[in-house]
Amino acid sequence: MQALEVEHLSRVFGARKALDALSFQLPVGAFLSIFGPNGAGKTTLLRVLSTLTPPSRGGTAKVFGYDVVADAVELRSRIGVISHNPLLYPDLTAEENLHFFADLYCIENPQTRIDELLEAVELKHRRLDLVRTFSRGMTQRLSIARALLPHPDILFLDEPYSGLDPHAADILDSLLAQVRDRYTFVMVSHDLDKGLELSSHVLILARGKKVLFEQRGDIDDTQFKQLYRDTVGLGVS
Amino acid sequence: MPELRDDFRRKDSLPSADAKHPAGGRRPFREQSVSSMDVLPKINSWRQFRALLRKDIVMELRTKEMITSMGLYALLVLVIYYVALSQAGDNFDVGRIAAGLLLLVIVFTSMLGLNRSLVHEQDQGQLEALLLSPVDRPIIFFAKALTNLLFLGLVELVVTPIFLLFFVARSESVQFGPAWMLVLALLVGSIGIAGVGTLLATMSVNTKGKDFVLAVLFIPVMYPLLMAIIAALSAVIAGPLGWQTGYWQMLAVAVGYDVIMLTAAFGLYEFILSV
Repeated sequence: MQALEVEHLSRVFGARKALDALSFQLPVGAFLSIFGPNGAGKTTLLRVLSTLTPPSRGGTAKVFGYDVVADAVELRSRIGVISHNPLLYPDLTAEENLHFFADLYCIENPQTRIDELLEAVELKHRRLDLVRTFSRGMTQRLSIARALLPHPDILFLDEPYSGLDPHAADILDSLLAQVRDRYTFVMVSHDLDKGLELSSHVLILARGKKVLFEQRGDIDDTQFKQLYRDTVGLGVS
Repeated sequence: MPELRDDFRRKDSLPSADAKHPAGGRRPFREQSVSSMDVLPKINSWRQFRALLRKDIVMELRTKEMITSMGLYALLVLVIYYVALSQAGDNFDVGRIAAGLLLLVIVFTSMLGLNRSLVHEQDQGQLEALLLSPVDRPIIFFAKALTNLLFLGLVELVVTPIFLLFFVARSESVQFGPAWMLVLALLVGSIGIAGVGTLLATMSVNTKGKDFVLAVLFIPVMYPLLMAIIAALSAVIAGPLGWQTGYWQMLAVAVGYDVIMLTAAFGLYEFILSV
């Protein structure tokens, strides 16, 4: 079984093709970095894979064997999403937020899992504080705890470093490194160096189409960056 | 699924988790070596519904944003009523239009609350987080609608007695029916307003002029309910001969509207959220 099986996947918004007949497969345990200029379809791809946006007719996308349309409800229990948006309630405490999501995912013995995660993201001492009092970095760490809460099989990261100061980015790096062996990752990023450093596979999109999909080991960094610069020049669809 | 779990441990040349890191020195986080396949719990819709309801109530008790703004707005409308009606002269009988005035303040107040209830879910992408979780969309709808009904009910609890005391009690044409009939009519009306309003607020929340869009959709869609509830309230407040027959007929229309529209909302909510 593959972590991702994408076949002729398209998503059309009006007359614009955000994704255009995209096909690729990603093995379980891989770290895929998706690059591309603004409007290339990166976030749309992530939204389709995470069941937030249905694909247009014709193509299919499967995550761990689950079709993103037909098996959407089952699939949602198996994915975690970390976005530049924290997806948390600022007027709830850190612990209340995690309890709320634990209830939505119907996690048994949630307190044990919440304690474990709060300790992992170094927020145990702030568990009873409202999220609105957190710094951006702390909020993002709690967002990671939220994403890991249901023991997902795959983590989708949508520009997770966006807006983080260097210290907070280091903490995020550290957390990702600590759980890297456990999950399959799909990350959208504009940061070439960071994306290349983390990834086992890379995908470049432009105008909704696949420009490149390769294993990280097969790529020469210099050539890759040149290809990316050429791709960015293609602009949006 | 042993095949998956074997695959799952393959590392595909990933950098080691133990590699020295700039943020080193932290206690390593060792996730249990379980996949969600092993721990995936049975989905309990009742637990999800309670969580959604509790979350909204806790947040509102903490911020008091909706209740305060809705309550203040309703009281300000009553002040405007007072100023306007004081200019109408002694011969003007407020009792004849009291039901319409009461429902007007409730409808305007509810629109304010409905908009805010969904905006709460947008600040930091919370609605997206709800949609990413394995919750059936109708559960989200019913939890939101019930929360809106609770908050609207609280405001009505304050506004209705004030309105009746200051505007209606002194009217000569008023012959009050039983209070429970007034409460019943308001409850049936509020259920429709909260239910259909939640659906419309969800439709409008991602539009540019969401306040405007909600208002434009709200009144035409709610028109049958508003007419029925005004007629039922009029029957209780101003009660002419044979008023009880009219009351029950209008209430039946309102209940029918609620049932049809809530069923439609139940069926449509997933589609509306996916657009």
